[in-house]
Amino acid sequence: MAELRFLVVDDFSTMRRIVRNLLKESGFSEADEAEDGVVALQKLRNSNFDFVVTDINMPNMNGFQLLAEIKKDDKLKHIPVLMVTAEARKEDIVTAAQQGAAGYIVKPFTKATLEEKLTHILKKSGLQ
Amino acid sequence: METGASPQQAGDATPPDVHHKIGQLTRQLHDTLHELGLAERLKGTAAELPDVKSRLSYIARLTGEAAEKVLNRVDQAKHQNDQIAAETRRVKAALVKDPVAAVAKGQIMNFLTDFEDANKGIDQHLTEIMMAQDFHDLTGQVIARVVNLATTIEEQLVELLIQTAPSGAVAKPSTGVHKPPLAGPVVDPAKEADVVTSQSQVDDLLASLGF
Repeated sequence: MAELRFLVVDDFSTMRRIVRNLLKESGFSEADEAEDGVVALQKLRNSNFDFVVTDINMPNMNGFQLLAEIKKDDKLKHIPVLMVTAEARKEDIVTAAQQGAAGYIVKPFTKATLEEKLTHILKKSGLQ
Repeated sequence: METGASPQQAGDATPPDVHHKIGQLTRQLHDTLHELGLAERLKGTAAELPDVKSRLSYIARLTGEAAEKVLNRVDQAKHQNDQIAAETRRVKAALVKDPVAAVAKGQIMNFLTDFEDANKGIDQHLTEIMMAQDFHDLTGQVIARVVNLATTIEEQLVELLIQTAPSGAVAKPSTGVHKPPLAGPVVDPAKEADVVTSQSQVDDLLASLGF
Protein backbone atom coordinates (compact mmCIF):
# COMPACT_ATOMS: atom_id res chain seq x y z
CA MET A 1 0.00 0.00 0.00
CA ALA A 2 1.36 3.39 -1.03
CA GLU A 3 2.31 5.82 1.70
CA LEU A 4 -0.41 8.31 2.59
CA ARG A 5 0.15 11.89 1.45
CA PHE A 6 -0.75 14.73 3.77
CA LEU A 7 -1.35 18.42 3.14
CA VAL A 8 -0.68 20.64 6.14
CA VAL A 9 -2.37 24.05 5.97
CA ASP A 10 -1.48 26.83 8.39
CA ASP A 11 -0.48 30.47 7.97
CA PHE A 12 2.32 30.05 10.53
CA SER A 13 5.35 28.29 9.05
CA THR A 14 6.48 27.09 12.47
CA MET A 15 3.13 25.40 13.02
CA ARG A 16 3.32 23.73 9.62
CA ARG A 17 6.77 22.51 10.51
CA ILE A 18 5.67 21.21 13.91
CA VAL A 19 2.73 19.31 12.40
CA ARG A 20 4.91 17.87 9.63
CA ASN A 21 7.49 16.75 12.19
CA LEU A 22 4.78 15.13 14.29
CA LEU A 23 3.38 13.38 11.22
CA LYS A 24 6.86 12.14 10.36
CA GLU A 25 7.35 10.82 13.89
CA SER A 26 4.00 9.06 13.54
CA GLY A 27 5.22 7.35 10.38
CA PHE A 28 3.81 9.72 7.75
CA SER A 29 6.73 11.36 5.98
CA GLU A 30 4.88 12.23 2.75
CA ALA A 31 3.58 15.73 3.40
CA ASP A 32 3.31 19.04 1.62
CA GLU A 33 2.20 22.36 3.06
CA ALA A 34 0.18 25.46 2.22
CA GLU A 35 -0.03 28.83 3.94
CA ASP A 36 -3.75 29.40 3.41
CA GLY A 37 -6.89 27.91 1.94
CA VAL A 38 -6.32 29.34 -1.53
CA VAL A 39 -2.90 27.74 -1.91
CA ALA A 40 -4.19 24.54 -0.32
CA LEU A 41 -7.06 24.26 -2.77
CA GLN A 42 -4.71 24.77 -5.71
CA LYS A 43 -2.43 22.02 -4.44
CA LEU A 44 -5.33 19.70 -3.76
CA ARG A 45 -6.65 20.17 -7.30
CA ASN A 46 -3.24 19.81 -8.93
CA SER A 47 -1.93 16.85 -7.01
CA ASN A 48 -3.10 13.82 -5.07
CA PHE A 49 -3.50 13.99 -1.31
CA ASP A 50 -5.04 11.51 1.10
CA PHE A 51 -5.45 13.70 4.15
CA VAL A 52 -5.69 17.39 5.02
CA VAL A 53 -4.67 18.90 8.36
CA THR A 54 -5.74 22.53 8.47
CA ASP A 55 -5.81 25.56 10.71
CA ILE A 56 -8.97 27.69 10.69
CA ASN A 57 -7.92 31.30 11.20
CA MET A 58 -5.95 32.10 8.05
CA PRO A 59 -5.86 34.98 5.56
CA ASN A 60 -7.38 34.83 2.05
CA MET A 61 -9.35 31.64 2.67
CA ASN A 62 -9.89 30.32 6.17
CA GLY A 63 -10.22 26.70 7.26
CA PHE A 64 -14.02 26.69 7.18
CA GLN A 65 -14.03 28.04 3.64
CA LEU A 66 -11.41 25.49 2.60
CA LEU A 67 -13.46 22.70 4.17
CA ALA A 68 -16.57 23.87 2.31
CA GLU A 69 -14.68 23.99 -1.00
CA ILE A 70 -13.31 20.50 -0.46
CA LYS A 71 -16.70 19.06 0.43
CA LYS A 72 -18.45 20.49 -2.62
CA ASP A 73 -15.78 19.22 -5.00
CA ASP A 74 -16.60 15.71 -6.19
CA LYS A 75 -12.92 14.92 -6.70
CA LEU A 76 -11.88 16.10 -3.24
CA LYS A 77 -14.81 15.48 -0.92
CA HIS A 78 -13.58 12.00 0.05
CA ILE A 79 -10.41 13.47 1.63
CA PRO A 80 -10.61 13.56 5.44
CA VAL A 81 -10.05 17.02 6.88
CA LEU A 82 -8.70 17.39 10.41
CA MET A 83 -9.04 20.88 11.89
CA VAL A 84 -6.14 21.88 14.17
CA THR A 85 -6.91 25.32 15.55
CA ALA A 86 -6.89 27.77 18.44
CA GLU A 87 -10.59 28.46 17.83
CA ALA A 88 -12.21 27.08 20.96
CA ARG A 89 -15.78 28.34 20.67
CA LYS A 90 -18.35 25.57 20.74
CA GLU A 91 -20.16 27.01 17.75
CA ASP A 92 -16.98 26.74 15.69
CA ILE A 93 -16.60 23.08 16.64
CA VAL A 94 -20.23 22.40 15.79
CA THR A 95 -19.86 24.25 12.47
CA ALA A 96 -16.80 22.20 11.58
CA ALA A 97 -18.62 18.96 12.37
CA GLN A 98 -21.68 20.00 10.37
CA GLN A 99 -19.54 20.98 7.40
CA GLY A 100 -17.97 17.52 7.34
CA ALA A 101 -14.69 17.85 9.22
CA ALA A 102 -13.30 14.46 10.18
CA GLY A 103 -11.86 15.74 13.44
CA TYR A 104 -11.16 18.83 15.52
CA ILE A 105 -8.11 19.48 17.68
CA VAL A 106 -7.71 22.59 19.81
CA LYS A 107 -4.26 24.16 20.14
CA PRO A 108 -2.14 23.72 22.13
CA PHE A 109 -2.20 20.00 21.59
CA THR A 110 0.02 17.00 22.25
CA LYS A 111 1.58 14.49 19.92
CA ALA A 112 -0.58 11.81 21.54
CA THR A 113 -3.76 13.73 20.69
CA LEU A 114 -2.74 14.12 17.06
CA GLU A 115 -1.81 10.44 16.76
CA GLU A 116 -5.07 9.39 18.39
CA LYS A 117 -7.16 11.47 15.99
CA LEU A 118 -5.15 10.36 12.97
CA THR A 119 -5.58 6.70 13.86
CA HIS A 120 -9.29 7.13 14.46
CA ILE A 121 -9.90 9.05 11.24
CA LEU A 122 -7.74 6.78 9.08
CA LYS A 123 -9.54 3.70 10.34
CA LYS A 124 -12.93 5.33 9.89
CA SER A 125 -12.03 6.42 6.37
CA GLY A 126 -10.69 3.00 5.44
CA LEU A 127 -7.22 4.42 4.78
CA GLN A 128 -5.53 2.23 7.39
CA MET B 1 -7.97 80.56 9.61
CA GLU B 2 -10.52 80.46 12.37
CA THR B 3 -9.16 79.64 15.76
CA GLY B 4 -11.95 80.71 18.02
CA ALA B 5 -14.39 77.85 17.34
CA SER B 6 -15.42 75.93 20.44
CA PRO B 7 -15.31 72.14 20.47
CA GLN B 8 -19.10 72.15 20.32
CA GLN B 9 -19.10 74.32 17.20
CA ALA B 10 -16.50 72.08 15.62
CA GLY B 11 -18.75 69.11 16.39
CA ASP B 12 -21.72 70.70 14.68
CA ALA B 13 -19.68 71.02 11.52
CA THR B 14 -18.64 67.35 11.48
CA PRO B 15 -20.70 64.91 9.38
CA PRO B 16 -22.78 62.53 11.53
CA ASP B 17 -21.28 59.38 9.96
CA VAL B 18 -17.84 60.42 11.17
CA HIS B 19 -19.16 60.48 14.72
CA HIS B 20 -20.76 57.13 14.15
CA LYS B 21 -17.53 55.61 12.86
CA ILE B 22 -15.48 57.11 15.67
CA GLY B 23 -18.07 55.85 18.13
CA GLN B 24 -17.91 52.35 16.66
CA LEU B 25 -14.13 52.37 16.78
CA THR B 26 -14.13 53.56 20.36
CA ARG B 27 -16.69 50.94 21.38
CA GLN B 28 -14.66 48.17 19.73
CA LEU B 29 -11.46 49.30 21.40
CA HIS B 30 -13.24 49.71 24.72
CA ASP B 31 -14.69 46.18 24.47
CA THR B 32 -11.29 44.79 23.58
CA LEU B 33 -9.63 46.48 26.53
CA HIS B 34 -12.47 45.32 28.75
CA GLU B 35 -12.00 41.73 27.58
CA LEU B 36 -8.32 42.07 28.36
CA GLY B 37 -9.19 43.24 31.85
CA LEU B 38 -7.61 46.60 31.33
CA ALA B 39 -10.65 48.84 31.28
CA GLU B 40 -9.85 50.09 34.76
CA ARG B 41 -6.24 50.73 33.99
CA LEU B 42 -6.62 53.70 31.77
CA LYS B 43 -3.64 55.92 32.22
CA GLY B 44 -2.64 59.14 30.65
CA THR B 45 0.38 58.38 28.57
CA ALA B 46 -0.47 60.68 25.72
CA ALA B 47 3.06 61.99 25.60
CA GLU B 48 4.25 58.60 24.39
CA LEU B 49 3.38 57.75 20.84
CA PRO B 50 5.86 55.06 19.81
CA ASP B 51 5.55 53.21 16.56
CA VAL B 52 3.07 50.42 17.28
CA LYS B 53 3.61 48.78 13.92
CA SER B 54 7.34 48.40 14.45
CA ARG B 55 6.77 47.08 17.97
CA LEU B 56 4.35 44.45 16.75
CA SER B 57 6.71 43.56 13.89
CA TYR B 58 9.45 43.17 16.47
CA ILE B 59 7.33 40.73 18.46
CA ALA B 60 6.47 38.73 15.34
CA ARG B 61 10.10 38.61 14.24
CA LEU B 62 11.47 37.67 17.64
CA THR B 63 8.97 34.91 18.30
CA GLY B 64 9.40 33.55 14.78
CA GLU B 65 13.16 33.46 15.11
CA ALA B 66 12.92 31.73 18.49
CA ALA B 67 10.60 29.05 17.14
CA GLU B 68 12.85 28.50 14.13
CA LYS B 69 15.94 28.28 16.32
CA VAL B 70 14.33 25.73 18.62
CA LEU B 71 13.10 23.59 15.73
CA ASN B 72 16.55 23.61 14.11
CA ARG B 73 18.18 22.58 17.39
CA VAL B 74 15.63 19.81 17.91
CA ASP B 75 16.31 18.52 14.38
CA GLN B 76 20.06 18.43 15.06
CA ALA B 77 19.72 16.82 18.48
CA LYS B 78 17.34 14.17 17.17
CA HIS B 79 19.74 13.39 14.33
CA GLN B 80 22.61 12.90 16.79
CA ASN B 81 20.39 10.79 19.00
CA ASP B 82 19.37 8.61 16.06
CA GLN B 83 23.03 8.07 15.16
CA ILE B 84 23.92 7.00 18.70
CA ALA B 85 20.91 4.69 18.84
CA ALA B 86 22.02 3.01 15.62
CA GLU B 87 25.60 2.74 16.90
CA THR B 88 24.36 1.22 20.16
CA ARG B 89 22.46 -1.46 18.29
CA ARG B 90 25.52 -2.21 16.14
CA VAL B 91 27.94 -2.51 19.11
CA LYS B 92 25.43 -4.55 21.07
CA ALA B 93 25.22 -7.04 18.21
CA ALA B 94 29.03 -7.18 18.01
CA LEU B 95 29.24 -7.86 21.75
CA VAL B 96 26.71 -10.67 21.55
CA LYS B 97 28.50 -12.22 18.61
CA ASP B 98 32.06 -12.06 19.96
CA PRO B 99 32.66 -10.06 23.17
CA VAL B 100 36.42 -10.53 23.17
CA ALA B 101 36.79 -9.40 19.57
CA ALA B 102 34.54 -6.40 20.15
CA VAL B 103 36.78 -5.19 22.95
CA ALA B 104 40.00 -6.15 21.25
CA LYS B 105 39.12 -4.33 18.04
CA GLY B 106 38.37 -1.18 19.97
CA GLN B 107 34.70 -1.14 19.05
CA ILE B 108 33.65 -0.57 22.65
CA MET B 109 36.10 2.27 23.22
CA ASN B 110 35.15 3.93 19.92
CA PHE B 111 31.49 3.69 20.82
CA LEU B 112 32.05 5.25 24.23
CA THR B 113 34.00 8.11 22.66
CA ASP B 114 31.26 8.71 20.09
CA PHE B 115 28.64 8.54 22.82
CA GLU B 116 30.44 11.14 24.90
CA ASP B 117 30.76 13.50 21.91
CA ALA B 118 27.08 13.11 21.04
CA ASN B 119 26.13 13.70 24.65
CA LYS B 120 28.01 17.00 24.65
CA GLY B 121 26.42 18.03 21.38
CA ILE B 122 22.90 17.24 22.54
CA ASP B 123 23.53 19.10 25.77
CA GLN B 124 24.54 22.16 23.76
CA HIS B 125 21.37 21.95 21.70
CA LEU B 126 19.29 21.75 24.86
CA THR B 127 21.05 24.80 26.25
CA GLU B 128 20.36 26.73 23.04
CA ILE B 129 16.72 25.67 23.14
CA MET B 130 16.50 26.95 26.68
CA MET B 131 18.16 30.23 25.75
CA ALA B 132 15.83 30.74 22.81
CA GLN B 133 12.98 31.11 25.26
CA ASP B 134 14.24 34.57 26.17
CA PHE B 135 11.88 35.95 23.55
CA HIS B 136 9.13 35.56 26.12
CA ASP B 137 10.59 38.11 28.44
CA LEU B 138 11.47 40.57 25.67
CA THR B 139 8.19 40.38 23.81
CA GLY B 140 6.25 40.49 27.07
CA GLN B 141 7.68 43.87 27.82
CA VAL B 142 6.91 45.19 24.36
CA ILE B 143 3.39 43.82 24.50
CA ALA B 144 2.84 45.62 27.79
CA ARG B 145 3.87 48.89 26.16
CA VAL B 146 1.59 48.32 23.20
CA VAL B 147 -1.31 47.63 25.56
CA ASN B 148 -0.58 50.89 27.33
CA LEU B 149 -0.63 52.65 23.99
CA ALA B 150 -3.98 51.11 23.10
CA THR B 151 -5.27 52.40 26.40
CA THR B 152 -4.10 55.88 25.57
CA ILE B 153 -5.67 55.79 22.13
CA GLU B 154 -9.00 54.73 23.61
CA GLU B 155 -8.87 57.56 26.10
CA GLN B 156 -8.13 60.05 23.37
CA LEU B 157 -10.90 58.73 21.15
CA VAL B 158 -13.42 58.93 23.97
CA GLU B 159 -12.34 62.47 24.69
CA LEU B 160 -12.55 63.36 20.99
CA LEU B 161 -16.03 61.86 20.71
CA ILE B 162 -17.29 63.75 23.75
CA GLN B 163 -15.79 67.05 22.63
CA THR B 164 -17.12 66.86 19.07
CA ALA B 165 -20.53 65.27 19.66
CA PRO B 166 -23.46 67.29 18.24
CA SER B 167 -25.63 69.01 20.82
CA GLY B 168 -28.39 66.73 22.10
CA ALA B 169 -26.66 63.65 20.72
CA VAL B 170 -27.47 60.53 22.68
CA ALA B 171 -25.11 57.61 22.61
CA LYS B 172 -26.74 54.62 20.95
CA PRO B 173 -26.78 51.57 23.16
CA SER B 174 -24.52 48.76 22.08
CA THR B 175 -26.37 46.29 19.87
CA GLY B 176 -24.70 43.41 21.65
CA VAL B 177 -21.33 41.98 22.44
CA HIS B 178 -18.93 42.43 19.57
CA LYS B 179 -18.01 38.97 18.38
CA PRO B 180 -15.56 38.67 15.51
CA PRO B 181 -16.13 35.83 13.05
CA LEU B 182 -13.08 34.04 14.42
CA ALA B 183 -12.11 34.75 17.99
CA GLY B 184 -8.66 33.18 18.11
CA PRO B 185 -7.13 31.66 21.25
CA VAL B 186 -9.12 31.91 24.43
CA VAL B 187 -7.13 34.16 26.75
CA ASP B 188 -9.34 33.81 29.81
CA PRO B 189 -11.84 30.92 29.62
CA ALA B 190 -13.50 32.02 32.88
CA LYS B 191 -14.66 35.22 31.21
CA GLU B 192 -15.93 33.66 28.01
CA ALA B 193 -19.03 31.57 27.63
CA ASP B 194 -19.46 28.69 25.20
CA VAL B 195 -15.81 27.87 24.77
CA VAL B 196 -14.01 24.62 25.36
CA THR B 197 -10.91 24.49 27.51
CA SER B 198 -9.59 21.04 26.72
CA GLN B 199 -9.46 18.46 23.97
CA SER B 200 -11.68 16.15 26.02
CA GLN B 201 -14.42 18.81 25.96
CA VAL B 202 -14.06 19.01 22.18
CA ASP B 203 -14.40 15.23 21.95
CA ASP B 204 -17.43 15.22 24.25
CA LEU B 205 -19.12 17.92 22.20
CA LEU B 206 -18.45 16.08 18.95
CA ALA B 207 -19.65 12.82 20.50
CA SER B 208 -22.88 14.52 21.52
CA LEU B 209 -23.33 15.44 17.86
CA GLY B 210 -22.85 11.84 16.78
CA PHE B 211 -19.22 12.08 15.67
